[in-house]
Amino acid sequence: MAALELEGVAKRYGDFHAVRDLSFKVEPGSIFGFLGPNGAGKTSTLRMVLGLIPPTSGRIAVLGSSSVRPNLDRIGFLPEERGLYRLMTPLDAVVFFAGLKGVGAAVARKRGRDMLEAQGLGEAIGRPMKALSKGMAQKVQLICALAHEPELVILDEPFSGLDPVNQLGLEGLIRDLARRGATVIFSTHVMAHAERLCERIVLMAEGRKVFDGTLAQARAAAPTRLVLEGALDPSSLSALPGLASVTREDGHVDGAGLYTLTLAAGGSAQAVLKAALQRDLDISRFRLETPTLHDAFIVLTKAHGRYEER
Amino acid sequence: MRVDTMSVHLVASLNRLRLIATREFLSYLRTPGFWLSLMIGPIAAGFGAMAPAMLHQAAPSPVLTVVDLSATGATPTIAAALSGPKPLAILVGPPARATEATSAAAAGKALRPYLSGDAPAGGPRLDAAAILSGRPDAIVVDFWSRDINDPDLQHVVRGAATQAMQQARLRAAGLAPELVAAVSAAAPVVHSYSPRAARGQVSMKDRLPSLLGLGLAFVLFFAIFTGAGILLNSVIEEKSSRILEVLLSSATVPELLGGKILGVAGVSAFIIAGWGAMGLLALQRTAPQMVAEVGAALMTHGLVIWFALFFVLGYLMYASVFAAIGAFCETVREAQTLLGPIMILITLPVMFLTVALEHPDAPLIVALSWVPPFTPFLMTARLAAGPPLWQVLGALILMATTTAAVVWLCARAFRAGALSTGKLDLKRLALGLFAPTSTPT
Repeated sequence: MAALELEGVAKRYGDFHAVRDLSFKVEPGSIFGFLGPNGAGKTSTLRMVLGLIPPTSGRIAVLGSSSVRPNLDRIGFLPEERGLYRLMTPLDAVVFFAGLKGVGAAVARKRGRDMLEAQGLGEAIGRPMKALSKGMAQKVQLICALAHEPELVILDEPFSGLDPVNQLGLEGLIRDLARRGATVIFSTHVMAHAERLCERIVLMAEGRKVFDGTLAQARAAAPTRLVLEGALDPSSLSALPGLASVTREDGHVDGAGLYTLTLAAGGSAQAVLKAALQRDLDISRFRLETPTLHDAFIVLTKAHGRYEER
Repeated sequence: MRVDTMSVHLVASLNRLRLIATREFLSYLRTPGFWLSLMIGPIAAGFGAMAPAMLHQAAPSPVLTVVDLSATGATPTIAAALSGPKPLAILVGPPARATEATSAAAAGKALRPYLSGDAPAGGPRLDAAAILSGRPDAIVVDFWSRDINDPDLQHVVRGAATQAMQQARLRAAGLAPELVAAVSAAAPVVHSYSPRAARGQVSMKDRLPSLLGLGLAFVLFFAIFTGAGILLNSVIEEKSSRILEVLLSSATVPELLGGKILGVAGVSAFIIAGWGAMGLLALQRTAPQMVAEVGAALMTHGLVIWFALFFVLGYLMYASVFAAIGAFCETVREAQTLLGPIMILITLPVMFLTVALEHPDAPLIVALSWVPPFTPFLMTARLAAGPPLWQVLGALILMATTTAAVVWLCARAFRAGALSTGKLDLKRLALGLFAPTSTPT
């Protein structure tokens, strides 16, 4: 049984199509990346999954049930835009939100205290939220979303607003959740986090799914690049087999040129190098650049709209 | 098995409702503003009750002069009418230049400096002047006053002049002065009766239910006014800080809306109960015999029970509307654009409350008490007069039906507003009201 399954889901606001014909599955216990540029339809999809808004069409099954309502206590949710009651203390906030998920006050209090201390918030336990820094408040809200030990954790842009150290801490927390057996779905438009955490990703652009698969499959969608350095002639490089393009870079080393050779689909870097050496091209250094998820993201979303990295 | 599951869900749902209501209640109990409201209310009410008498006592009596140009002889009657433990006015002799005038207009001209504060040195500073001309049985009064908004003194002078004229005519008709004095002093002894009075003769005890009805209508107004304001601010805070989205991922709209309304109703109830206790304590100290009478008055025509029903429905209706408005607004300023019409709607019945007290069966009051937004206020004010039961029941059923419809619509608007971003627009509000929902609202 999939932890989450969407089938032909669409969401329309008047004439605007926020999500079109979206289908994917998330396996239990996995870390699943829900990626896409701003306005791709990620938040609308997550809201539909949580039952906050109804889909215009399609079917959604959460934790094996077509109705999310009975399963809300098994789900933890961190929204994209965050906030907590300004006068509440972190511990009271955790007890309150865990209580809404059916956790008794005594258990929630103990669990909240442990989690807050584990996240370095022990000293802030009794201070009002308004006295906490933004990073601390975000940690508290994350703990509020997790204190009831959910089976499915949905995090909407969880890394935004966190400094690099806290981002790494959150990555560790997400891995711990998966190790414990929870399914983690998080949305982001920063590929580095997805690259480090996810097993599978779905990539969205302008409300449509443009990719669904493993990280390796995603990377394969982007071309491999070969960077050559030396006293090279662009026309000689263009004549090499299996290339899609040749770009001269701005950087120069001791008068030598720097060129990026983008391989055509199915092209082999080894074959290009071999051909270059056979033609006595003056290559002083070379470097193979395997595509990153970021490259794949740009390639996959390019056809569907703009990509603006925040 | 299915029954067990349903009961588990019901318990969980009630628990969420309780948690939301408790948080809402405690969050206000911990603010200084709440305790200030609790303390300031009785102080303001006490001051409001005593202020008119205090102002009357503290205000200096106006200075009046009477210029009798044609020896009408009404001055002693006017002087008698002004006398009392605190004279209505201090009567002083007229300035010489006024008495020397040959016409009322000339006397007025002569008095003008004394009334406008430009009196010659040593002259009296006057607040009012009555220039009498004509004949003793047909007096003409030119009344001058510094205060054009206070007609009381003029009425007293007019009444005294009327009495002097009547006496003059009786004397002219040949009646002996003793007989004229006896006729003038004659006044009936009036006993007030009403079939609505317990013993036939109307006493304070009989008027008490009507006064309490009016008081309770004002209590309802206060509760809605303050409670709805608290609720609006609370929802705006949750909306602007995006807490609403998290809450909606944990609780249903009825749980959330119900919990919030219940919590704020608790705040209002706490304040009203506090005021009631303070009022009871004050009554016990000052007029202990009234305590039992107030208790009995509250039970007249089931006043307190009907009030409770209309209170709950009225509170629920207005609180739902305010919560729905709050869900669409991220600042109080945004909310104010929508609040104007609602505030007029709440204030309108308050303007009719005193009329409802004096004329509970007036056609306009009866008609307005059937209009659901006004029903809780006007029916509460009418209840003490014992309106027909079918009217009370009919208005209650209509009110309950309307409240159910309003709460249903507001719950949908609340959900739509809670998840919306950007500025409020009416198209989105309408879409939110009638769009389908995936979870039960």
